[in-house]
Amino acid sequence: MSHIKIDGNKCKSCYLCMDVCPKKLIKKSEKIGKTGNCIVEFDDKNQECIGCAQCALVCPDMAIVEVYR
Amino acid sequence: MQQVYSIPKSIKQNSTFTFCPGCDHGLAIKLVAQVIDELELKENTIAVASSGCSVLLYDFLDVDCIESPHGRACAVATGIKRAHKAQGYNKFVFTYQGDGDFASIGLAESLHSALRGENITAICINNTNYGMTGGQLGPTTAMGQITTTSQSGRNKEYHGFPIKTAEHIALCEGTSFSARVALYDIKNIINAKKQIKKAFEYQKKGLGFSFVEILSTCPTNWKLTPQDSHKKIENELIKVYPLGIFKDIEND
Repeated sequence: MSHIKIDGNKCKSCYLCMDVCPKKLIKKSEKIGKTGNCIVEFDDKNQECIGCAQCALVCPDMAIVEVYR
Repeated sequence: MQQVYSIPKSIKQNSTFTFCPGCDHGLAIKLVAQVIDELELKENTIAVASSGCSVLLYDFLDVDCIESPHGRACAVATGIKRAHKAQGYNKFVFTYQGDGDFASIGLAESLHSALRGENITAICINNTNYGMTGGQLGPTTAMGQITTTSQSGRNKEYHGFPIKTAEHIALCEGTSFSARVALYDIKNIINAKKQIKKAFEYQKKGLGFSFVEILSTCPTNWKLTPQDSHKKIENELIKVYPLGIFKDIEND
């Protein structure tokens, strides 16, 4: 089961990962981050994640810390 | 199930980038760290940071770092490389500079390091303004671009034309590698990493000065969202600064 791990303390709410995810599994959460905006969360109820690691590659703050395939 | 991505080992544990949200500096440092890991250079590297946002490199990269005076990173790197060579050590030395540092204040040092064919690598983050001091017009600002010191846009009568660093460095005979890359999509990020790796390998082989210019965003000073900043690079800036390899002595 592919999945990613997001470190909420590092997320600065730039939302670049939301645009690159081919399955659109990264969404805005209701938690407020350090920048005062909603941080992202990984929402994969149907286990659609393919572990492509594009989100981790594009994240400028290394908030996506681990990807498993 | 296997782990396909983890934070590079050359990044200090539990460090959080202090750049603005969406800034490509973090991405560039991550790529440099990944290349250092892949080439197993961590214990042998000395990084030279400069002034500007790029100086924060030494807060995150777990290698030996030195901060140079404004613009003089290539000169400091030359000294480090030569002094170690005289002692019989072959250290891997690279500089990490912004465009205001490499192409404006330090243009003489940078260009002459390339002309001398110093065996160092320079990485220049080009975000087309002076980011840390509030987004003033720099030598790399594109024509018509509005900054805090060019409120009606850059014009040729008053400000002149922007400098194309990668092409200038490619003209120097001591240069072994000169390329310009961007970070606006996945394809370009993978390509950027490939070119950084090539530049580092050329130094390992002792071929001369290697240079990578990274076209980067500055969402805060451009007053755009990170997404729109990437679109600006894709639609406007790569017409001014074409991507590609301008010199590659092994393949020319």
